Amino acid sequence: MAENKVILTLENVSKSFAKVESDEVTHALDNVSVTMESGEFISLVGPSGCGKSTILRLVAGLIVPTLGKVTVNGEEIDGPSPNRGMVFQKPTLFPWLTVENNIAFSLNVQGKLKGNEDKVQRMIDIIGLEKFRNDYPGQLSGGMAQRVALVRSLINQPEILLLDEPLGALDAFTRMHMQDEILSIWSESKQLALMVTHDVDEAIYMGTRVLVMDANPGRIIADIKIDESYPRDRSSASFVEYRNDILNKLHFGGNKNK
Amino acid sequence: MVPENQRQNSQAVDAAQLGNLTRSQLKKLETKEKTAWQKTLEAITLALPVICGIVAILEYIILPNYSRNYNPYAYFYVMGAFIAAYIVYLTVGIIRKSKGNTSVYEKVHYRAPLFSALFLFFALYDYLTLKTGTLTQPFVPCMNFIINAFLKDYMMLLDCTLNTLKLLFIGYGIGVSLGLVTGISCGYSNKFRYWVDPIIKFLGPIPTSTWVPVTMVIASSLFGGAVFIIALGSWFAVTVASMTGISNVDKDFFEAARTLGATERQLVFRVAIPHAMPSILQGCTQAMSSSCVALMIAEMLGVKSGLGWYMTWQAGWASYDKMFAALFVICFIFTVVTKVLERVKRHVLRWQNGVEK
Repeated sequence: MAENKVILTLENVSKSFAKVESDEVTHALDNVSVTMESGEFISLVGPSGCGKSTILRLVAGLIVPTLGKVTVNGEEIDGPSPNRGMVFQKPTLFPWLTVENNIAFSLNVQGKLKGNEDKVQRMIDIIGLEKFRNDYPGQLSGGMAQRVALVRSLINQPEILLLDEPLGALDAFTRMHMQDEILSIWSESKQLALMVTHDVDEAIYMGTRVLVMDANPGRIIADIKIDESYPRDRSSASFVEYRNDILNKLHFGGNKNK
Repeated sequence: MVPENQRQNSQAVDAAQLGNLTRSQLKKLETKEKTAWQKTLEAITLALPVICGIVAILEYIILPNYSRNYNPYAYFYVMGAFIAAYIVYLTVGIIRKSKGNTSVYEKVHYRAPLFSALFLFFALYDYLTLKTGTLTQPFVPCMNFIINAFLKDYMMLLDCTLNTLKLLFIGYGIGVSLGLVTGISCGYSNKFRYWVDPIIKFLGPIPTSTWVPVTMVIASSLFGGAVFIIALGSWFAVTVASMTGISNVDKDFFEAARTLGATERQLVFRVAIPHAMPSILQGCTQAMSSSCVALMIAEMLGVKSGLGWYMTWQAGWASYDKMFAALFVICFIFTVVTKVLERVKRHVLRWQNGVEK
């Protein structure tokens, strides 16, 4: 429930990484500029090495840009913050903490747990894992673990929610189910969500905007607004049209042999 | 056609209501009814330790002694007590089983062959020492002599045990605490590691016993020297283990914790240390075994108290029965200490249950 409107801007951002044990440098992002704001659900889609995850990690504050600026409401990002929650491809739940304590971790380290136990309870209710609250993550299935990871960062009511291929490792059915779960959480809070995905369908199904990216060097090649109401129909004509459009831009379209 | 036992099982399901089936009910449902032969075998297995115990006692009473014996009832009573203890254990198991809890019963059943073998071993040992003298008296004293040594000298043994435990735990405690500090700092901070790593590389390969003559010369008190040797060994084991544990923490955990608002300090105490706990505890167990070795070396070579000292001292007086008695106490102490450590480890690492399968 981000009360304040948030504007996230990437201004001429480039990010390069030095390779280990050689002087070579890879350019993950090359002069990327884009603006996003609260209420948007941005899907980042593109082949591996196009820098989608790099954008997320920059916004999270885990890495700093080589050139350019990443700002939230005009202020440059300085390190990670619970205001910008991140969900990783692996659930990265702390295996030594129970489900409940994993969810409470963030409040705990910030010293805010006292008096906020109801928040933990609400998060457990959202994902419907009451039965598993005292279990350790090792006993959870992949889908359950990812749900816990999701609410673990949602408990801070982050202004920006960063999703780094959160559904990548799940089976197809769990995945579709969780797409809807994430959408319903997002549509309630109306925060800014940024999701990286490999899956064009997922990008269109979930995003209000799809940023199509390409590699070598990593850049945004198209910024497509998805003008459809939720829930979306994966087989509707317009959905297929969006899909073909994006696949064409990524050179995987039906007319690539032309 | 449905076999008899399955038909019984399906009735049991109705009674148990599949929905709230307990673990033991599930097990009962899925195992086949035991055959008559299996039942007999089970009964024999459970009775075997008692039979073997009686064999051991009869062997002791009936066979003529090869060498002189004294206070012959000590062995008789101890064996009787062992048999009685087993019967109590078995009875508890059977009573619990009749109330639906089979865990103790299963443990008794599992251990019964081992107990039987132990009684047979006592019988064989007595035969080889007291009855035939194949193992020469008094160098390898018969069990009755060892038990009598306990009875005669228990005050002294108790005193030595306390001294040994004091030395062990002071040395171990100091070593483990310092090891945790250095190991965790080295694992987390490269700067710290830069300075400490050479020390570890230099001191690490030196076996503990090498330090004994050095400390006997340098240390102001032998006790202090012994503490130093024990602490050094455990310091090394814990340092290395916790260092490896901490530096192997998955980077993803740190990143997740940072996006959740953890400070640098919290990354160490809330992420790195718990993650490294299996490795750290492994180091503590290793430190305990190296401490025990160092302790015995120290007591046998220098320190004028404790069980190690008692053993060498009694050997000097040719009281081999007392020496063996002390050996049993040492055995007992180390077993208990290891068991306790194991329990602690199981409790702290309970989150690993069901993960490492």
